Amino acid sequence: MDATPAVRLDGVSKRFADSSAVHRLDLDIEAGHFFSLLGPSGCGKTTSLRMIGGFSDPSEGSVLLAGEDVTALPPNRRNVNTVFQSYALFDHLSVADNVAFGLKRQGVAKAEIRQRVGEMLDLVQLAGLADRRPRTLSGGQRQRVALARALVNRPAVLLLDEPLAALDLKLRRQMQVELKQIQREVGITFVFVTHDQDEALTMSDRIAVMNEGRIEQCGTPEDVYEHPATRFVASFMGTSNLMTGTYRAGEVALEQGPALPVGARTGIADGTAVSVSVRPEKIWLSDFEPGMSMLRGVIRETVYSGPTTTYLIELAPGVTLSVLEQNTARARMEDRWSGGETVEFGWRPEHCLVLA
Amino acid sequence: MTIVKLPSATAPSRPTARNRTRRGRADRKPRILIAVTGLFFALLYLPIAVVALFSFNSKKSLTVFGGFSLRWYRAFVHDDVLISSLGTSLRISLVAMAGSVVLGVALALGLVRCRTRLGSLAGLIMLVPLITPEIVTGVASMLLFKGLGVALSTGTVMLAEITFSISYVTVILRSRVAALNPEVEEAAMDLGATRWQAVRLVTLPALLPAVLASAVLIFALVFDDFVLAYFTTGVDPQPLSVRIYSAIRFGVQPTINAVGTLMLAGSIALIALALFIPRLFGRRGGLDILSGE
Repeated sequence: MDATPAVRLDGVSKRFADSSAVHRLDLDIEAGHFFSLLGPSGCGKTTSLRMIGGFSDPSEGSVLLAGEDVTALPPNRRNVNTVFQSYALFDHLSVADNVAFGLKRQGVAKAEIRQRVGEMLDLVQLAGLADRRPRTLSGGQRQRVALARALVNRPAVLLLDEPLAALDLKLRRQMQVELKQIQREVGITFVFVTHDQDEALTMSDRIAVMNEGRIEQCGTPEDVYEHPATRFVASFMGTSNLMTGTYRAGEVALEQGPALPVGARTGIADGTAVSVSVRPEKIWLSDFEPGMSMLRGVIRETVYSGPTTTYLIELAPGVTLSVLEQNTARARMEDRWSGGETVEFGWRPEHCLVLA
Repeated sequence: MTIVKLPSATAPSRPTARNRTRRGRADRKPRILIAVTGLFFALLYLPIAVVALFSFNSKKSLTVFGGFSLRWYRAFVHDDVLISSLGTSLRISLVAMAGSVVLGVALALGLVRCRTRLGSLAGLIMLVPLITPEIVTGVASMLLFKGLGVALSTGTVMLAEITFSISYVTVILRSRVAALNPEVEEAAMDLGATRWQAVRLVTLPALLPAVLASAVLIFALVFDDFVLAYFTTGVDPQPLSVRIYSAIRFGVQPTINAVGTLMLAGSIALIALALFIPRLFGRRGGLDILSGE
């Protein structure tokens, strides 16, 4: 592992006239990683990206690229390139000239420019469109031009600001896979800003979940999904069935309703007010195993969505859990539960997350 | 092989008799409005048509048409004073066009991007020349030059025309600049361009259709301008419009008809060009003032 991180944010803050966008951010991004900044709009993720790119000056703290302090350098003197949310293509230039723009600025020889632009257009599968104007391309093609235009400069770090947000769902899924493949192929560090947790989970080596200008948790996709460190991360990463209650001896007593068996927890004193979270796919409706925490509830809603069915089960007045089941156990319509039925369900205590 | 016609699928549906009468009533054009519109255009263009017609008169008369001839055009071409005035007018128009476009584009960029109170004040002041009566601008310019002890000459006309024209350029360009995506200039800087290179390589090309259209418009406005030129020009050489005015005071020569017709044709060609330029670039708009978009 390379000791020097590709990007380091050292106590970086950004304050605007009326608000604080980023608050004392410390962040290391390892070289060669696909790193995502994930959070709701207004959490400071784009501002952070703009400070790495040089489009926004930090109010305090410093930005380091490969160990070198670049805080005072303008964008054109940083070895990073950006794929903008709007793509920001140059409409008066052809696709090939768009891609060649950065190389021309660097004074690369013409023959080499032609060769590198050709290779890059091949990589993003736009070889046949080199002479077209960006205006005449589809959204997905424009997105590829923006990617090629940035990658052709072989930056140390590529910054991507919600590049897939404008694409329709199917194309977005396809581009997610492609982006990841391209990143592996070129080996460049990608810093990817998104508000879409699925996107972050599928593509990233590491994810930093941001909220209100702070990093709530930074880890692998599995870390942040399976072991969220805070209530915010638990609720932002998918459906989490958050409940509040009081911890006592391996159980959490809800304000109304039954006590939830959660297993003994070290580090949480009896009588502590806690949040409990169980992911919908980790609640079982049949084939129970010994040692599971078993509960009863009433089916309130059945939502069929192809491969899976989601049941909303009322555990106690005001406490409704979302439960996801593969449509294998109850493949046929008449086998599935319907509203009003009382069912038994359970989970493994270790799948139950307790946040003090 | 026989071709089977499917009349119901392809034939355009004809309006039924009932439909036709109902549509006819709604569509009936009020004759009085047609008449008023006709009268308006007649009053507007008949005098000009007469000038154009009599510029081809073989006689010297301004009331009797004696037959087609290019006599007065020939007279104009051989009139050294008028020809030198034409040259002066062209020089003034070109310089005023270049000067006001450069300053007007810069002002538009500045006004859109400078979001301070002083900036919006400047944006308001910029509009004042558009509503000031030209005679006021003319007199004021003349008094300014006299006060500063600057002798009136072709140079002073150029200065006055540039000052007067900046507002037009800025008004046309400002909405275009505001519509630009700021990320595009950032992208250029991200790819290694300095701030100035980003403006030159990305922003100006994006504005080019509007810049060219406003340049053509300014050229036409300045070339035709009389009032401002009259107050700020020196004695010799005089711009064409001022020269024609002086000539008329000593009795109307049919040569003036020829000059007027040529100026009219030139102006129409330029305005048409200004409207056409944005379409050359495959974009709509460019001259918001003229097209009303």
